[in-house]
Amino acid sequence: MTGAPVPEPGGSPDTPAGAPGTSPVASLKPARPRWRETLGLLARNPTAAVASVVLLLIVVVAVFDDTFAPEGANEISVTDRLQSPSWAHPFGTDDLGRDILSRVILGASVSLKVGFLAVGFALVAGTMIGLLAGYYGKWVDDVLMRFMDMLFAFPAVLLAIAVLAVRGPGSGNTALAIGIVYTPIFARVTRASVLGVREEVYVRASRSVGASDWRILTRHILPNAAPPIIVQTSISLAFAVLAEAALSFLGLGTQPPNPSWGLMLAEGRGYIELAWWLAFFPGMAIFLTVLCFNLLGDGLRDALDPRQRTLMAGGGK
Amino acid sequence: MDTGGGGGGGDNVLVAAVSAQPDQFDPHVTSAYPSFQVLENVYDTLAVPDAEDLTMQPSLAESWETSEDGLTWTFTLREGVTFHDGSEFDAADVVYSYNRIIDEELNNAYRFATVENVEAVDPQTVEITVSQPTPNLPALIGGFKGMAILPEGAAEEYDLTTEAVGTGPFTLESSDASRTELAAYEDYWGGAPGIDGVEFRYITEPAAALTALENGEVQWTDNVPPQQIESLEGDDAVELATTPSVDYWYMSMNYAREPFGNPQVRQAIATAIDRGAVTEAARFGAAQPNQTAIPEDSFYYYDYAPYDANVQEAQSLLQQAGVQTPITMGLMVTDEFPETVTAAQVIASQLEPIGITVDVQTVDFATWLDRQAQGDFDAFMLGWLGNIDPFDFYHAQHITDGSSNFQGYSNPQVDELLNSAATETDEAARKDLYDQAAKLIVDDVSYLYLYNPDVVQAWAPGLSGYEIRADKAINFEGVELP
Repeated sequence: MTGAPVPEPGGSPDTPAGAPGTSPVASLKPARPRWRETLGLLARNPTAAVASVVLLLIVVVAVFDDTFAPEGANEISVTDRLQSPSWAHPFGTDDLGRDILSRVILGASVSLKVGFLAVGFALVAGTMIGLLAGYYGKWVDDVLMRFMDMLFAFPAVLLAIAVLAVRGPGSGNTALAIGIVYTPIFARVTRASVLGVREEVYVRASRSVGASDWRILTRHILPNAAPPIIVQTSISLAFAVLAEAALSFLGLGTQPPNPSWGLMLAEGRGYIELAWWLAFFPGMAIFLTVLCFNLLGDGLRDALDPRQRTLMAGGGK
Repeated sequence: MDTGGGGGGGDNVLVAAVSAQPDQFDPHVTSAYPSFQVLENVYDTLAVPDAEDLTMQPSLAESWETSEDGLTWTFTLREGVTFHDGSEFDAADVVYSYNRIIDEELNNAYRFATVENVEAVDPQTVEITVSQPTPNLPALIGGFKGMAILPEGAAEEYDLTTEAVGTGPFTLESSDASRTELAAYEDYWGGAPGIDGVEFRYITEPAAALTALENGEVQWTDNVPPQQIESLEGDDAVELATTPSVDYWYMSMNYAREPFGNPQVRQAIATAIDRGAVTEAARFGAAQPNQTAIPEDSFYYYDYAPYDANVQEAQSLLQQAGVQTPITMGLMVTDEFPETVTAAQVIASQLEPIGITVDVQTVDFATWLDRQAQGDFDAFMLGWLGNIDPFDFYHAQHITDGSSNFQGYSNPQVDELLNSAATETDEAARKDLYDQAAKLIVDDVSYLYLYNPDVVQAWAPGLSGYEIRADKAINFEGVELP
């Protein structure tokens, strides 16, 4: 492809249409808001659509877990232990006679809460750092990104374990640990994306009419740098759920008797020969959630990619 | 998985799967069971417990006698015993070893509380004088290898944390993060062992240890998943043995933390807990619930069970105590002993109906020990292993300011009973004193006793000469491979 850089379709709402002197805030709103267009594209991608529906279901179950769970998480009944799946206990019972279906449902909110908190933390912190580093460049860039490189140099799980060793185990600290681990990823993605739009005509134009840094960052740079960050969020959620499971499996995350998929997997591992359902159902829950976040991430990437977008919107060539 | 390959040594080496790595090899300093599994085969003591009934039998001492007044013990030592470095064993080594424990106030110094002097009369005779009659002295010095005899000057000459110089049937060859290797000591006074050596391999996962045994990678393990005991009983590929142990598992509450200093609160908790369910959950029936410490097979067993699991009674006790529910109790357990994590969850569910919210705190064992020592706990759960004499079961745990009395229990009556029992020479009278002490300890809930587990071990069919023991001592001296 050749030619001058073309602003993305539906790009900055106040892309100056003419020379300085015309109103810089004159709004050229696209016919359809960008997010609706994205959703429309997503809906036309069957895999991503199914993944979104399943995720929505998981989130609903997690939010109303008390309503959906037939029993409490810790209704111990040693006499009913290790029962295979039946109508009374569709997922069977564990080594303490607790209903596994209930624990998988109640574990969903634990896993998702940790996932959302962790990614939320990484998203906010990483995006801020990436924006500043990418926009200001020079020493700001050097200081911030070298620090991110330092964090990045540690293997993710090792860094999370180190954070938990300092802060002690538990769900809150697990979220923080995972959040710290993913911050550099968001910082890098954001910075790369910001570098791409920093010198765009509309940014330079905005700057030339005296817009403040804050305004340029929030109104021009961030919206245009956002697509890769959104994709990264979805993919990171998958990894965060997985990381929570891994840390709980190692005994550093959620603590017994609270249900968490990773912890249930760890508890069930000793019974795999006797009672496969102890580890199978929480394992399936992790598998399904992670798969859906990944598929949604793929779908979002396709939908937000300007080239793909034109292809899809234009009916393909 | 690494099958050991060349590391497995010759064909005549026994590979034993144990659950953890020894922390160190100094018998006088360590208190870790994984270390004693190895040291049992490397060191000797003056007396040893009989494999069957745990009565004290001659080992490095051929015989012993007590003076009329019970204040002087004379041990006649075995001749022709050599240490692994070739030096001769004599009375000076005994004096050196015991004085090392006493002077440096090592782990087991409390076992010498009544000992005033250890003296070498001649190379073959050691005289121990005690301040009060100490009828259980042979058990105190022979109960386990924590009282092992080192050659004179060993601590200065060797790094005992990594090296071992004993008189036992095997020598310590090497130890790393995956295995500890022993070799047969040809000059062992009891005759060279029937195998060339022992390799202790650390396999943390019980299921993995069992698989290794089933496919012939290892020939012995004590890391048997309790839930699989039943299915293993009919399994020809594995020889399974169980025997009641002399261990007990208990919960203890901190007297310094209100409201757990209130005896009625502790009694309410003792009443609310269904020991049967806890035992079943933690051990799959391979244990006996017990409200006192000493197991049923022992001469010192005391049949006393005042608490019936009863929620109403527990609630009314809490009311009498004037406690505002709900209260929160932190229950400290460790994943080093997974059964404590399991049991704690059951205990939590049993205390909930009476208004006690249990916060199960799973920590690593080092942290656990540290917090225990600091008194930083509401309650904890753990076990005492390898107890032989009632002194081991009750003394240091319940006497005022006892070295293991972390809960802060103090009852002058119990102190008096424990002190007289320790010096009582008549067995029946001694049992009576310990019974009375146990009754008070249980009534006051100094410890909340839960159960005595079974020892469960498995080995390859055809392995002979091994005896499973109630004290969990693991001795491979007479073993022959299939």
